[in-house]
This record gives sequence, structure tokens and C-alpha cells, in this order.
Amino acid sequence: MWSTAREIADGDLVIIWLTRDILQPLLVSAGKELNSRFGVYRHADLIGVPYGSKVGSRNGKGFIHVLRPTPELWTLALPHRTQILYLADIAFVTSWLDIKPGSKVIEAGTGSGSFSHSTARTIGPTGHLWSYEFHEARANKAKEEFTRHGLDGRVTLTHRNVCKDGFTVADTVDAVFLDLPAPWDAVPHAKAALRTDRPTRICCFSPCMEQVMRTVTALNDAGFTDISMYETLLRPHQVDVVPAPPSVAAVSAQLKRAEARREQKRLRQIAQAHRGTSTAKRKREDAEDAPPQPAHDAPVAAAAAGKRAKTAEGEATPAVATPGLKEEEPQPGEGEGGAGPTKVSLSKAFPEVRGHTSYLTFAVLLPASAYAEAESADASAVATPQAAA
Amino acid sequence: MENQTDVAEGSSAIAHPVDRTIQAGHTILLRLPSGELRTMKLEKDANVNLGKFGSFNSKDLIGQPYGLTYSIVEKSLRIVPPRPLQEVEDTDATNELINDGEAVQPLTVEEIEQLKKAGLSAEEIIKRQIEQHTNYQLKTEYSKEKYKKRKEAKYSKGFTTVIPTLYNVCEYWYNKDQSRLRDIRPDTLSQILNLANIRPGGRYIAVDDASGIVVTGILQRLGGIGRLITICDVDSPPAYPCTVHMNFTRETTAVMSSLNWATADEEYTPIIASHEPPTGTFKSEGQKTRLGKRKVASDVLMHNRDELFAGEFDGLIVASQYDPWSILEKLYPYLGGSASIVVYSPQVQILSDLHTKLKDHTGYLGPSLSEGFLRRYQILPGRTHPTMNTSGTGGFILQAIKVYATPLLHSCR
Repeated sequence: MWSTAREIADGDLVIIWLTRDILQPLLVSAGKELNSRFGVYRHADLIGVPYGSKVGSRNGKGFIHVLRPTPELWTLALPHRTQILYLADIAFVTSWLDIKPGSKVIEAGTGSGSFSHSTARTIGPTGHLWSYEFHEARANKAKEEFTRHGLDGRVTLTHRNVCKDGFTVADTVDAVFLDLPAPWDAVPHAKAALRTDRPTRICCFSPCMEQVMRTVTALNDAGFTDISMYETLLRPHQVDVVPAPPSVAAVSAQLKRAEARREQKRLRQIAQAHRGTSTAKRKREDAEDAPPQPAHDAPVAAAAAGKRAKTAEGEATPAVATPGLKEEEPQPGEGEGGAGPTKVSLSKAFPEVRGHTSYLTFAVLLPASAYAEAESADASAVATPQAAA
Repeated sequence: MENQTDVAEGSSAIAHPVDRTIQAGHTILLRLPSGELRTMKLEKDANVNLGKFGSFNSKDLIGQPYGLTYSIVEKSLRIVPPRPLQEVEDTDATNELINDGEAVQPLTVEEIEQLKKAGLSAEEIIKRQIEQHTNYQLKTEYSKEKYKKRKEAKYSKGFTTVIPTLYNVCEYWYNKDQSRLRDIRPDTLSQILNLANIRPGGRYIAVDDASGIVVTGILQRLGGIGRLITICDVDSPPAYPCTVHMNFTRETTAVMSSLNWATADEEYTPIIASHEPPTGTFKSEGQKTRLGKRKVASDVLMHNRDELFAGEFDGLIVASQYDPWSILEKLYPYLGGSASIVVYSPQVQILSDLHTKLKDHTGYLGPSLSEGFLRRYQILPGRTHPTMNTSGTGGFILQAIKVYATPLLHSCR
């Protein structure tokens, strides 16, 4: 597959990590240049450098990290030709379908090759992947890509509409993965491609429940058993380093001080009033009586402060400002170990995440030969129900 | 590169490859009609007793493919063909006229026992029960289905052998005692293995305090090619009980060696008892063998240490009860550039703190923290919905890539 050498060589595929969200595949070719908004780099400068190195640009505009490709990085960096599969689904499907070194696998369609690369890695040099794509241009692109990535030995790509024309192998594979608009049309073909000497598995990947229902019917009719359906996602979390949430004792003390100050002020004003009042002063008093503006993110505390002590504007805020700081907190670790307040690492799920990819419908095909005789000879025998869930 | 495009073309062999079928000595998992899973080591020619679900001789199972369902009739096994899903007809029945607490089941426990003794099959007993069930006809078709299922689970004799896939083995352990797996769910395990880029031929370091479920996954994905060094907290070879159910071949497990937190310490010189006889000559053959074995063991230990310290590993996978930062500090130097680092914890707090530490170190690129979400659906015609009970979390995974912190500057070259 990809280079396993310690250092980058001419002709290697590397993954350029520009930022967490910008990853870019690069075929190293001495003589070429990489231009990015993080600077200019000569490919020649990457040759001989260990994978995982941080490389500075020629024009001093920034740095890049040069990584060894993995199917997981490839998924993040690949050129999208279609909607692609991501880690959570790929990993789960691999596991349920029992894809492992030596496995013989079918996938249709190839799409952008995200699942293909992961599967090619997992099956290793002793396994084989037959990949089918009905869109000719996409099939050609994928074929070039597989060749470039050294996968010709373990991946066979065929331009073909498998729903109409079926697969190119029969009684051969351990697992079939169908990412097609109408997988039910391919189910009988899949059955023919699956080997008959041991239990085999299938997975159909469909975004809609209606598709699932049709697929289940097709699987059931074709004799698949142990039909189950899952949805899986990865919920990314963000980690923020923030000052530990302060105790209410601090708020209490602050409010008490404010109350004491106000009382002093009131007494002062009474004393002044005895010496004669001015209109300007009365105005200021009105302003003080107005409720303070509730602080963002802490309405309860602000309301309480407003109710208990009608302090001057601004006085109520410092006590409740800290929780609101969370969003603006710059880089974690800043001032750690310094004289500042204790910092804590807090995590929460990202506010907006992928909510659905597709339903994963799985089924097992048992070796028919094992129970064929049982089926015919057993008409009179006691039928014990299957214990499967 | 490999060139075997056509290696698998054509029909599969008629005979079952030995390692794919049930063999004497395998540790197998049986699913009972009640849904419960039972594990046992299969002896060559022995009676296997499943209590009320029957008993049979183990030799009936040897050589069979995994995954089949059997009924037990007079101590012998009969293969039961898989039963397709049944379409349930919709009727107008509701539970309007069915009240709780009414005696609807005239068959007493004793009567049922007598029927069983008389040799009636589960199906016949259930049929009798239905006949005598006063409200059965009032039930909806869905409810009738459920009733029959419940009774079948109670009276059927038989079982299904569970195919020992990594998924099934992980699920078995998770359902049995998830705390022993540190709550690693099958979906989380699959993500760990993918994120760590486990491939045949790769070299990995693992710290697995999760009964060996992670080790099991790595061994399977290596397929007997590559290397796995595990670091454990005991002074004898670690027990990774999860590996047992995979019935791995010797070649599959041979890629693994284990060190502990003392022997994996570069500063420390393990105390190794001398393998020379104290008198200069061997007193007996026994002593010779004993000391010879001791020499082999110490040579292996020193070799494994050297291999770890030589570094350049492709990945580090941690699912441990110990402070992950202390583990990373120790093992990070042995990783090669661009190595995958995957740390699992059932608690987000542990990984939040670790995330903050990694962000402060330029040697860790792009640390990211995520939690697995998995939802299973009941999938029956006309009755499809998410399962009512499910696991709340799959635990958390923190992932990062090892990079060399010192930038290479080319502007002055």
C-alpha cells in the first residue's frame, strides 16, 4: 500500500496537515512545488525527511506537518467525487462484517474510495477487495488512484452496474458491502458471490428507513438471517481550559460589600440632604434604582443581585462574569501554574454535529449445505425455533 | 508488491477449512433459547449439559461450521434451518378488553412439567397453552407473536453456536460484565483499531487493562504478521482472557510479547537470576533444564526490552486504569514519526485533562476527543423501532499523531 519507510522518498504519497480541517494529499515529485496559504515548499525538500516532520516554508509564511498516509487520514484528505463514508461507519461495518487479514470482500459502489482504502488496509496482502462502480468517469478516477497507491495487487475495480449485471465472482467472498441507492436489487447477486462453505455477511448502507424496509424484505427472501440494523456516529467533544467555576461564597462576599457600600452612600446622602439637595443628585438616584442589566450567561445570579441589592450598573457584573468567559478563553494551558485562578479542562459535545449518516442493515448467510439435508429430511421432526434475537 | 488478483476466483473448497469449524479444545459460545449466552471449552467426547435446554455429546458439534442452530432431541443434535422473518397481519384487535391480573392461564406449572415428561415438544406445549388461554384470541397479532416467542424461549431445547468474530466476542464480554472491558463497546473497539491503523505487518505498543479486548482486536488485525508489545502491571505474563474466545492459532498470538512497567523502564536493570550452575557444573539433568529455561526466558526478556527501546513503533493504543499522561510520557519516545496514538477511557474527565496536556506539547499533532454513539433497531416487518434499552455511552477516545517538534527550515538551505 503506502510507504512504510521511515523517511519520505520521491514518488511517495504524503498527507500534508495544514490545519486540523485542511489536510491535503501530495504525491512527492522532485522538481515540483507546493503552494499553500501557509507558504511555498519544494517537494525536493521533503525527500529524505522523516514522516511526521514539521517543515518550515521557503518564504517564511508558515509550517506544515508531513504525515504518513493512513486510510483514516485519507478519508479526511481525499478528493470528493461523491458523498463519502466516515470513520464511525467504516469501522463499525468492518467489525460487524468480520473483515480481517485475508478476507475477500466486495464493495459497491466505489464512490470516492474512502471505504476501499480502509478495507484494503485491513485485509492486507493476503485478502482481496472487488470494488464496483457504475459511473464510468468515477470508476476511471478510482482506478488511477488505486494504482497510484499500490493497491493493484489487492483491489480489483470494475466499471459495472451490479444491480443489473451482478458481480464478477461467484461463491468466493466472505463479505459484501452495498452502498447503492437500491441495494435490494443487488441482494440476489450478492448471495451468488458469497462463498457457501462458511457463514458470510452482508451490509447495506442506506440513509432512508424506506430503503431499509425494502432491503430487509430482499434479504429475508434471499435466505439471509440474523438481520439487524444499527445507526452509529462519533460525537466529537471540544475541550476548553477555563478557570475553575468560582464558589458562590465569593459572590456572596461581593454582594455583601456592595450592600455595605450602598448603605454608606445612603447615609452620606442623607447627611448631604440635610445640607440642601440639588436636582442633579435626584437624577442620579433614579438611575441607581433601575434594575441592573442581567449579565450574559448568568441570568439567575444577575436577577438575584438585582432584587437583593439595587447596586449601580456594573457593580453586579464582576461576580458573575467568569462563567461567561468560557467562550472567549484563548489557548488552553495559558498561565497554567501561574498565580492566576486554578484552571480546569472541561469538555462538551460540539454544538453542531453530524446527526445521521445512514442506517446499517446487516445480515448473515449461513452455509446452505449444512442444513440442506436437515431441511428436507426434517419435515416430520420437531421444529425448534431459532434462538437468534 | 503482491500479485494475486485471481487467487480467490472460482469456487470455495467443498471441505470446511479446519480452523473455521468447531474443534475440540475451542472455547465456544452458545446462545440458548432464552437469549442467554453460555461459554464452555469443548472437550473431545464429553456430555455437554445445558440444564433445561437439554444435553448432548460434544462430538456432534466438532467439525460443524459456527453459526448454526440446533434442536436437541433425545440427546442428539438436529440442525434447524433458519426461520425467515414473519409478516404479521394487521387486525382490528386491541387490548381494550384485556384486563391485568385475570387468571388466563389454566395450565399449571405441574401440568406443564407432566407434558414435558410425556415427551411433548415445545411447540406442542405452547399450542396447548394457547388453546386454554382464555384471552388469546383477543390479543393483537403482534401481541400473539410476542406471547409465542416468550413461551418458545421457555420450553425449547436447543441452542445456536455463536460465530467467534471480534464483534461477537466483544459483545459477549460487554454484555456479561462491561466493567471488566472498561466499558469498551464493539463499536468503540472497532474505532480504536481503525484509528490506530492496525494492519498486517505493523508494529504496535498496547497497554490493555480491559481484559485483553484491545489486544484481541490487534492480534486479529495483525493476522500473524507484525509485532505487538504489551506493557502490563504484573510480573508474570498478563492474562488477556478475551483472547480465549477467538481460538487464535499459535501463529496469530506469536507476534505478541509482554513487558511490565518495571522491565519496560530503560533506567532499570531487571534482576535476573544466574543461569550458570553455582558450582560450575550441572548437578543434574533437571537443574540443567531448569537453568536452560531460565536463560531462554531472560534472553527473551532482554530481547523484548531492546526491541521496545529501539523504538520506531507505528502506533500506541492505551485502555488503562493508570494515568494516561504517565503512560504517554513513558512510551512516546518509542513511537516513530507520524505514529497513531489512541487513548481510550470510559471517563471523559480523564481524557479532557490529557487533551489539555497534549495541546501544550508540540510533539502531539491534532489531539481530538470523541464519544461513540450506537443505536440498534428492532427490525421486524411493521414493527421497526430503536430498541427500548440501550447502552448509554461507548466511552471516549482521544487520538493524536506523533510529530517531530523541531521544525526543519529550508529557507537557508
